[in-house]
Amino acid sequence: MSLADYRYRDLIHRCFRCGYCKFPTSYLDVNNCPAYARYRLESYSTGGRLWLIRAWLNDEMEWTDHLAEIVFSCATCKNCTEQCPLPFSQDIVNMIVAARCEMVERGLMPAAVQQFLENVQRHGNPYGAPRSKRAEWFQGTDVEQYDGQEYLYYVGCVGSYDTRARETARTLAHVLKRGGVSFGVLGDRESCDGNDVAKLGEEGLFESLAEENIEQFKELGVTKVVTLSPHAYNAMRNDYPSLNGTFEVFHYTQLLNELIKKGTLDLSRGFDARVTYHDPCFLGRWNGEYEAPRAALRAVPGIELVEMERSRADTLCCGGGGGNFYTDFLGGSEDSPARIRIRQARDSGAQVVAVACPNCMTMLEDAAKAERLDESLSIRDVSEIVASALE
Amino acid sequence: MNVVVAIKKVVDTSEAADVVEVDAAGKDISKAGLVSRLNDWDGYALEEGLRWREKLGGTATALTVGPRDWDDVLRTALAMGADAAVRVDEDAASMDCRSVARILATAIGKLPHDLVLFGAQSEDFGSAQLGPMVAQMLGLPHATLVVGLDVNDDRVHVSREIEGGARELYTLTLPALLTIQTGLNRPRYVSFSRIKRAREKEIGVTTLHELGLSSADLVPSVTLERLELTPAGRRAMLISGNPEEAAGALATLLKESGVI
Repeated sequence: MSLADYRYRDLIHRCFRCGYCKFPTSYLDVNNCPAYARYRLESYSTGGRLWLIRAWLNDEMEWTDHLAEIVFSCATCKNCTEQCPLPFSQDIVNMIVAARCEMVERGLMPAAVQQFLENVQRHGNPYGAPRSKRAEWFQGTDVEQYDGQEYLYYVGCVGSYDTRARETARTLAHVLKRGGVSFGVLGDRESCDGNDVAKLGEEGLFESLAEENIEQFKELGVTKVVTLSPHAYNAMRNDYPSLNGTFEVFHYTQLLNELIKKGTLDLSRGFDARVTYHDPCFLGRWNGEYEAPRAALRAVPGIELVEMERSRADTLCCGGGGGNFYTDFLGGSEDSPARIRIRQARDSGAQVVAVACPNCMTMLEDAAKAERLDESLSIRDVSEIVASALE
Repeated sequence: MNVVVAIKKVVDTSEAADVVEVDAAGKDISKAGLVSRLNDWDGYALEEGLRWREKLGGTATALTVGPRDWDDVLRTALAMGADAAVRVDEDAASMDCRSVARILATAIGKLPHDLVLFGAQSEDFGSAQLGPMVAQMLGLPHATLVVGLDVNDDRVHVSREIEGGARELYTLTLPALLTIQTGLNRPRYVSFSRIKRAREKEIGVTTLHELGLSSADLVPSVTLERLELTPAGRRAMLISGNPEEAAGALATLLKESGVI
């Protein structure tokens, strides 16, 4: 492998490191790239990373553990894509992912990335937990296995295994039931959607996961999928069609918003709080959905919706994207993006941070504890807020 | 330099301790819902063998004794870079170590071998006997629990881990057999596309008959009576209160129990 064989060989040299990739739109600060915010080194910004990748592919520098850590610390949040002024802006995250593909193919990656991918290969989830435990989240509830219902409710790895995210998965199921939605789940037949596997550069494994999911969905006659996680939503909406898997895919906030608009959910109990909404990257920047979750929150009586200084396309990522919720290259510091984000939420004057992604939930909840803000600032999923308002 | 690495397939129970049950026959765990994979120690042995083959040339062969569904661990070895894979088609689950050692020793005897590597033990039964037994049967010098090695002409210098973190350093003449401890390298990641390509490679299958062995050679001297699970502990304790109170309570508890 050399630069000549690299998928973006005609593009990567065109980044001249103007540095816009790490700013928010206002250019008032320089820390809207989560990895750059954490390390404050040019090499951790997208431009710096692209230069390092080019040097590595050109044999101008050796592969080292540190180089790999820099390449895998990108949360694939697409802030850089929003800010890059050059015509190839849509490809800059892909250039990093393509470099990861090269490292993965050669077995050159940080141990945490290897563990993530080996766990998904063996167990269908990054935690290495047995498949049989994938169905535990809905034990004792009236959630049904998928059997031809209108929607497949795809929960994903974090919602199925993480203790806190399981609560969200159950709450959303409850809200969907109350909204009269006909849905079923796959339980222990569900497998990883592969979004973060793809972003970590394991293309072959992603295709295998996607093809198995598509085959299963088709066998079961699934036409509509509603996902708990924006990560699954992204993979199924944008990547599955090219693998012959075209389904109507919804993020749950879109479905909730429709139910609220139709008046199917009676929210008259309300939710009295000042709430700020944190945009998940794979719903916002990756898929342009900024409005549905906000509309759902605005429809809840009693909510005063306030915006953080950075929101929508300007959102600071929680640092959990691209597998980082597991590999944790951005944790362990007061400059960890999740902690900066929690301080931004505090500064908005909100009492509640509304999230719409189980990864953001776990990242921000941990950050609130680390910042000792967990008593004044609670992290609630949009579905949990809606559930609290149900009469 | 020709390397042979003996490998085994085991059930992965690392994150499943709370769902493990003994099966109806009482001599194995119930494998339903659990996945199987390459024995952890064997991954390190393979990686080490491949590194020396890559450095010094020759061949690296992965060898196992098992039924057909063990081919996948041999394919993992091929995907990692092994030149050949051989499976002795025999379900060794009910055999004792000496019988398996007899089969492996016979198979290794027919393969070119300067360096024979085993994982120090298996994750399932963990007897750690197989490597030394095979060495004895083949008349090879051996070292167990190897945490570092350096091949130099017709010798291998090894570092062994012993109690208290101490090391023993030995020099063995080749051919030699080593059992490999975890941690001496980092087994390479095997990408899905490599595994796919390895599916097209051939696995050499041989039988006891072809190896010149009969059941008379494999009379067990040790038989497993039954398995029992360790009773669940009843001493878990949850400490409540704010961080300061909880830390204080924990410190008191650790002092009282003599830990600190």
